[in-house]
Amino acid sequence: MRNYLKQIRTILWKDLLVEFRTRERLIAMGAFVVLVAILFNYATDWARVSPEDIASGLVWMTIMFAGLLGVGRTFHLEAEDGAFQGILMSPVPKDAIFIAKALANFVFLYIMALLVVGVFIFFFGLEVGGSFGMLTLVIALGVLAFVALGTLFTAVSTGTRMGDTLLPVLIFPLLAPVVIYGTGATSQFLAGRPVTEAEGSIRMLAAFALTAFFLGSWLFRFVVED
Amino acid sequence: MREYGTVTAVDGIDLSLARGEFLTIFGPNGAGKTSLLALLAGALRPNRGQVWLRGETLDFGEVEWRHRIGVLSHQGFLYGHLSAEENLRFYGQLFGLSDLDYVVNHKLQHLGLQDRAGSLVRDLSHGMKQRLALARALLHDPDIVLLDEPYTGLDPSAAIVLQGVLSDLKDGQRTIVMVTHNLTEGLALATTAAIMNRGRFVWQGKRAEIEGDFGQFYHGVIEGEE
Amino acid sequence: MSTKKILLAGTMLAMIGLVWLGVVYWMSFFWVSTEVTQGIAQRIFYVHVPAAWTSFLAFGLAALFSGMYLWLRDERLDRAAVSAAEGGMVFATIMLTTGPLWGKIAWGTYWTWEPRLTLTLLLWFIFLGYFLVRSSTENPEKGKRHAAVVAIVGALDIPFIHLSVIWFRSLHPAPVVIKPEGPTLPGDMLTTLLMSLGAFTVLFLGLFLLRYSLENLRSELDTRSRHASV
Repeated sequence: MRNYLKQIRTILWKDLLVEFRTRERLIAMGAFVVLVAILFNYATDWARVSPEDIASGLVWMTIMFAGLLGVGRTFHLEAEDGAFQGILMSPVPKDAIFIAKALANFVFLYIMALLVVGVFIFFFGLEVGGSFGMLTLVIALGVLAFVALGTLFTAVSTGTRMGDTLLPVLIFPLLAPVVIYGTGATSQFLAGRPVTEAEGSIRMLAAFALTAFFLGSWLFRFVVED
Repeated sequence: MREYGTVTAVDGIDLSLARGEFLTIFGPNGAGKTSLLALLAGALRPNRGQVWLRGETLDFGEVEWRHRIGVLSHQGFLYGHLSAEENLRFYGQLFGLSDLDYVVNHKLQHLGLQDRAGSLVRDLSHGMKQRLALARALLHDPDIVLLDEPYTGLDPSAAIVLQGVLSDLKDGQRTIVMVTHNLTEGLALATTAAIMNRGRFVWQGKRAEIEGDFGQFYHGVIEGEE
Repeated sequence: MSTKKILLAGTMLAMIGLVWLGVVYWMSFFWVSTEVTQGIAQRIFYVHVPAAWTSFLAFGLAALFSGMYLWLRDERLDRAAVSAAEGGMVFATIMLTTGPLWGKIAWGTYWTWEPRLTLTLLLWFIFLGYFLVRSSTENPEKGKRHAAVVAIVGALDIPFIHLSVIWFRSLHPAPVVIKPEGPTLPGDMLTTLLMSLGAFTVLFLGLFLLRYSLENLRSELDTRSRHASV
C-alpha cells in the first residue's frame, strides 16, 4: 500500500514538474478562459441581463470547454518518446497510473476553474459574497468528476484515428449530471439562497465524482492494454 | 533454466531461453518481431498460450514479471523536459528501488553521463539519449533484457558505444533477446539467432553454426518462404 | 448453439414480432378508444413507449455483454454487445422521432425537456460514441475493448442522468404538464400498450439474434479468407 501511494505520488509529481516547466496546458487553458469571457461580453446584452442570472451556466460551460482542452493533452506529453510505454512496462498497477494522471489533471483544471470564477468576478462584477467557500467546493467536485471521465476517455480517444475530436462526443453526454447539479448549486449560491438548499446537489455531485473515479480506475486497464 | 513456453499468439512459437543466452531475431518488417517482444515483455496479452518463468505461469500484466524485464526500443521512453537524473529517479521510484541515489549515480557513471546528469533530456544528443535509455532499461537490474531495434537512428559512434554496453550486458547472468533487421549488428553479439517471417520462426540455430555469408543465407530462407 | 440454429431462431422471432406488431397496429388504429384530452395523436404512444422500453433493454444488454467481454474475452460476447447496441440505436431513434411528433400535436412544441426523452437522447449520443470508437481504431480488438468501456460507463451513468434530468425538471417546471401515462390508464389502452410492449420486445430479440448470427458469419468469412490467402 505504501508502495502504491509512492508510485501515484511519483507519477503525479512528474506530471506537475513537467507542466510547471513547460506551462503549455496552463497557458493554453488560461488564455482560453479569458478570451471566452471577452467574447461573452460582446455576445451578451448586459443591459437586459445581470451577471448573476446567467453566470452559473456560463461558468460551468467555460469550465467544460476549457477542461476539454486541458484533459485532451493528458497523454501527449507521454507519447513524445514513447514514455507511456515505459510506465506501462514498469511494475505500477494500472489503477495507480489512472489515479495519478487524473489527479494531475485535477490540479490543472481546478486552477483553471478558479480562474474562470475570478474572471467573471473581475470582468462582470459577479457578486459571490459569502458563498465563495461553498462555490469552490462545488467546483472541486465537478472538476473531480470531469477529470475522472476525461482522463479515462482521453485514453480511449487518443487510441483512435479521430483523436481529440472524439472526446466531447464521448464525455459530454456522460457529464450532463455534473452540469445540471453544478449549475443548479451555483445559481442557488449566487442568488444568495441558504447553503442547505444546495445540499442535495452537492451530495449528488460527490456521489457522481466518486463513482466516476472508481469506474475510471477500474476500466483504465482495459483501455491501455495493447 | 528460464523458459518462455508456448507463446502462441504470434503463431505457435516455442521459445525457451537459457541464462546467459543472447538471442537475436531477424526478419523483414511485419514479421511479428515486435509483437513477440511485446508478448515477452508482458505488454501484449496472448490470445492463446502462456508464458512460463522457472516452471510457473505468468499472468498477463503481473507485477513480478515487470521487475525482471528491461526493455529498450528505438524510442527512449524518456521525458524531454526532465533532466537525465530526474528521468532515472522517476523510473527508479516506479520500480520501488531502495538505494535510489546510489543506483542512479552508478548508472550515470557507468554510461559516461555523469557530467550531463542535470541537463534536460531534450538538450542531449541522440547518442546520449540512447545511452540514457539504456540506463533506464537496466536501472532495476533485470535478468531478461529485451531490445527492439536499438540501433535505429544511431550515428556510427553512438552505435559503437551501444555495442560496448551490450557486450557488457552479456555477463552470463542475463538473458538477452534482440530483434532487428540489421544483420551485421544483430549477429555481432548473438549466441543464438532466429529468422522470423509471418509470425513464425522459419530458422533457429546457434551463432556458431552459421557459416559463410549470413546475408545470403537469410535472403535464401526468406525467399524460400515466399 | 450453432450459427444456423441462431439464425433460424432469429428469423422465427422476427417474423412472430412483425405479425404481432401488425396486430398491435390494428389495435391501436381501430380497436382502442381515443384518449379524451389529446385526441388521435395520443395513439403514437403505443409505438413511442415500447420503443423507449426496448431501447433501454437493448442498451442494458449491450453494457452487460460488454462487461462480460472485458472479463472473459470471448469474441461472441463482443458480437452480442454490438448487436444489442445497434438494436438500441434503432429503437432509441424511433422513440426520439415519435416523441417530438406527438409533442408538436399534443402541446404545440417539438421538444420538451421531458426527463425520459432527454435521457434517451443522451443515451443515443453515448452509443454513437460507442460506434465511433469501435470503427476508428487501427486495431479492431482495441476498438472492441474501448467500445466496451464506453458502454459500461454509459450504463452506469444512466441513474445519475435520470435523477439529474428529473431534478432539473422540478426546478424548471414545463409550461404544459400533461402526463401521458397516468396510473389510471383505461383497460383497453393498457391492453394495447402491453401487447405492443410484447411485440417490440419479441421483434427486438429476433433482430438481435439475426444481427448476432450475421456477425458470426462475418467473422467466419474473415477467418476462412485469411486461411485461403496463406
